[in-house]
Amino acid sequence: MTETTQLRVMDFDCPTCASTVERAIRSAEGVADVEVHYTTGRIEVTYDERVTGPAAFEQTIENQGYTPQTA
Amino acid sequence: MHTFTDFVPTDRLPDEWLRVGRRHRKAAVTAASGLLYAGGWSVGHVSGLETVSAGVLVLAAVVGGYDIAKQGYYELRSRTLGIKTLVTLAAVGAVVIGEYWEAAAVVFLFSLGSYLEGRTMRKTRTALQELLELTPDTALVRRDGAVVEVPAREVEEGEVVVVKPGAEIPVDGVVVDGESAVNQAPITGESAPVHKTDGDEVYAATVNQEGALEVRTTGAGSDTTLQRIVRRVEAAQETKSPTESLVDRFATYYTPAVVVLAVGAFAVTRDAMLGLTLLVIGCPGALVIGPPVSVVSAVGNAARNGVLVKGGEHLETAGAIDLVAFDKTGTLTKGETTVTGVEGFGTDADEVLRLAAVAEKKSEHHLGDAIVTAARDRRERPDGARTSDVVTDGGTATVEPATGGSRPVPDPDEFDVVAGKGVVARLGGREIVVGNRALLDDREVAVPGPVATHVRERETRGETAVHVALDGEIVGVVALRDELREAAPGVVAALHEAGVRTVMLTGDNERTARAVAEEVGIDDYRAGLLPADKQAAIEAFREDHTVAMVGDGINDAPSLAAADVGIAMGAAGTDTAIETADVALMADDLERIPYAIGLSRATRWNVAENVAVAVLTVAFLLAGVLGSVVHLAGGMLVHEGSVLLVILNGMRLLRY
Repeated sequence: MTETTQLRVMDFDCPTCASTVERAIRSAEGVADVEVHYTTGRIEVTYDERVTGPAAFEQTIENQGYTPQTA
Repeated sequence: MHTFTDFVPTDRLPDEWLRVGRRHRKAAVTAASGLLYAGGWSVGHVSGLETVSAGVLVLAAVVGGYDIAKQGYYELRSRTLGIKTLVTLAAVGAVVIGEYWEAAAVVFLFSLGSYLEGRTMRKTRTALQELLELTPDTALVRRDGAVVEVPAREVEEGEVVVVKPGAEIPVDGVVVDGESAVNQAPITGESAPVHKTDGDEVYAATVNQEGALEVRTTGAGSDTTLQRIVRRVEAAQETKSPTESLVDRFATYYTPAVVVLAVGAFAVTRDAMLGLTLLVIGCPGALVIGPPVSVVSAVGNAARNGVLVKGGEHLETAGAIDLVAFDKTGTLTKGETTVTGVEGFGTDADEVLRLAAVAEKKSEHHLGDAIVTAARDRRERPDGARTSDVVTDGGTATVEPATGGSRPVPDPDEFDVVAGKGVVARLGGREIVVGNRALLDDREVAVPGPVATHVRERETRGETAVHVALDGEIVGVVALRDELREAAPGVVAALHEAGVRTVMLTGDNERTARAVAEEVGIDDYRAGLLPADKQAAIEAFREDHTVAMVGDGINDAPSLAAADVGIAMGAAGTDTAIETADVALMADDLERIPYAIGLSRATRWNVAENVAVAVLTVAFLLAGVLGSVVHLAGGMLVHEGSVLLVILNGMRLLRY
């Protein structure tokens, strides 16, 4: 089933960093759509809940050196 | 805001500690790298122990550079040539050619710069979240005869919430019991509390200042006015303004150009450091960060002042406004029309009012409502006590004392609205016509001299005079007035001060319009307009002005859409108004208009300053590097400095 979740990263330090995170989440299996906004730090992911979930997205974000928050 | 111990079960604590560690990792890494850098540099300078110094400096570069290199790796994996990849390349290159000091310095400076950039951006990003935190987490709800405390988002629609004096209201709803003053600043930006009693709407996150209130819930959790506003503001912050899009387009050409330049410089000079330095300092950091930071800060500031700007685009356009058109009714005036006088001509004034009320009873026009209300009030108080003062300046009959007024107002047998002119009704075989001169002319009713004189007098006072005719003969005139908002003249003056022309658009007749225009001090007015005419007037103004139209957002939707910037007033709670406008004023507060225009102008300037800083810095650095005056570390210092400068400059708009 398709689900949508929202995360926040308050410590992006450059617009490219946001696009890098966006591409990384998008390339993961089960992710249908993702938007990462540098200006607000808001991340919206549409995904297949049978394949992946928010914990995986948080892991991706942390791997890249940013702090995810749920919101 | 919770501290993490509030809600984290103890078995998850180590995990949380890890998170806290990560959160401060950047600061720790930057500090460590900085200390090592300073240490290595001093060892080299003071003791001359070159090898030790080099070792410490390389360590500084590794400590500070590990995370950067990791992020650079992710950049490469997502096929981006980002600044982190370039900084890593530059640092490694510097170590390879033995420039340890440069390597440590560039890593430390970049690390410090991005730490500060992340921190300052967090401030702009959390500006809105602070608004949301004003909503209390729990609510006192009446359930099964008892008052229980439940999480605010779990309150169901229709449930009654008890709000104690001094407490924040947890949900959107309608007051069903109690009376109080509520501070609505989080929604409307108005600091003066608003009186609330039975039937009034209240919003989540506003503060109940005086008495206890009982509120029937209409929305809770994410379905509150504040939440909707914040979502819209965020959406606005995420859309790109024209300048941002332009800068982004520019960057897509600029970045490859820098790469070509760096490779070219390397090919010609065989100097690897020169090539790497060009790559690092050529990054358009300040250029791509500057405009969005300005816009985000300004949109956030506006939101906290009760002004919802629906996108950076509108902010940029609003900064160019040089003409503001106001709808009269409900915008410059309070929109509360009251009867100010009834004059009978050969008929008792109370009878005139009663006849007018019969004809208007089924009308939904605001003038009609005022007439029906006045007739009802007079009937309820036949002793002559009036809700409005009746001043007559001599006619054939005056209103006092009210004798015939106690008869009820019956429904008309027939009723027709003549758009823009008035109404025609029938009662017991008699025809009542209530309307303006045009309607009387249509119906071939003669207007005697004294009636015309009286109407003119009323109109030159800014009142609207309606004729009442019975079976083809004029029996009286009802005068009505919609009071000006107290703030209107000051706002018009403030706009003039800012070099903005003002125009009033109204359906009223020429004389009434002129009187009101003079009272407000407005530059120009257009009278006798139907809604479609207002739209045409706006389009005409747009030929040589950047035009803002101010209206209520519902009746004025077409003219708001026709303007460069449509500004809707009193939009809290009316989603239609927010939908149709480019800028929505949550409160019925005209004074937000000069503020919004001022903020937009400041934003345009701010964006221009940021673009100028970015372009000049890069031009200066490129020239400096090519002329061998600027080296890697110095270039990085100036580059990071320029990025911080544009962020801090943009953030000034948070405090406009």
